[in-house]
Amino acid sequence: MKSRFIVTPILCTGCRTCELACSFTHAKDGKVGRSRIYPLDGGFKDLYVPVVCLQCEDPACVKSCLVDAIYFNENTGAYEINAEICVRCMACVAACPFGCSLFDTQQNLVIKCDLCCGDPVCAHFCPTKALTYKLIEV
Amino acid sequence: MITVTINGKLVRAKEGEMLLAVLRREKIDIPALCHHEAVEPYGACRLCMVEITKKEWDGWKNMVTSCLYPVADGLIIQTHTTDLIELRKTILDLYLARCPNTPEIQDLAAQYGVTQTSFEEVAEPNDCILCGLCTRICDRMGFGAISAINRGHGREIAPPLKNAPPDCVGCLACALNCPTNYIKYSDIGHTREIWGRKFELLRDVRTGQSTITREFAEYLSKHRNIPQDYFELNDESHRKETALSLGKIAIWSREESQ
Repeated sequence: MKSRFIVTPILCTGCRTCELACSFTHAKDGKVGRSRIYPLDGGFKDLYVPVVCLQCEDPACVKSCLVDAIYFNENTGAYEINAEICVRCMACVAACPFGCSLFDTQQNLVIKCDLCCGDPVCAHFCPTKALTYKLIEV
Repeated sequence: MITVTINGKLVRAKEGEMLLAVLRREKIDIPALCHHEAVEPYGACRLCMVEITKKEWDGWKNMVTSCLYPVADGLIIQTHTTDLIELRKTILDLYLARCPNTPEIQDLAAQYGVTQTSFEEVAEPNDCILCGLCTRICDRMGFGAISAINRGHGREIAPPLKNAPPDCVGCLACALNCPTNYIKYSDIGHTREIWGRKFELLRDVRTGQSTITREFAEYLSKHRNIPQDYFELNDESHRKETALSLGKIAIWSREESQ
């Protein structure tokens, strides 16, 4: 049994509550952080897709990191960036084919979705259950 | 797990961990300029010195750089004794003689009450404290484009023969992690200049925004097996592209299920 973050784009209304929840969850020193989730236009009428890190197997961000700052968290199933090891060379930002490794200019950090240490706040706030985090059989 | 005493407080630590890591975890303010988690500890700046002793040492004490000292069971550590503050003051005094116009050094020295150096200032001051963090990070990333040259008072950080470094890819890791912002670079238009070498920044084919240099992208695709076409778009265009393709899949799967 493993928990997985499930995105269901047809249920998404594009209300951007998840973006707000993410920004406030990752606020630091009294400043809101950059959101890790982006509800974007899906190319069809009334279709929005929350674009967020998909926690790939064999991800490009980990392959591109030359100082091994991105590691797999066994407990949550998320790839996390250790901000103390990161040297901000932007290799992962350029390498991610989904564009989900971002640079936060305000906090001067490279960031990506870390599934909020195993309890994604965006999933709690999503009013239409387009974002869920639940146990699934693998 | 082992136990150490820090300023009279019992603290648990892992075997083989360095003292500075334990002190930082305990939120004790220890100044350190040359420390970075990505590279091995080096002990160049000498500011993280702490006083250690043990019960069986019969009152003997020792001052060590905490970034290089592995914790041991029963260690008694003092971090802000009069001797240590005096020592840090002297080191910062020397730094001020070398870098009198560096804001980072001035701020740190002011915290310890040093505003004016008591030594003679060097004739041509610059911002470099010769901690070697830039060269160590460059080596750790596998480029080794810069190193410390000359000895004694002529020591400085430079690329080989002071020419444009052939191994540099323009990733800016040295400049962004420099504790005193000594390493200068410029991003003008789509050209990045660092260490006297010019690099072309890779442009997004749609928006024209750039993230990394062409040389760095080529290095990553050659040595890290990342397809070259991943670098054609920047992160914003990649996200838009992902939304469009996932949108198509969502519509298709809805039509399939109906």
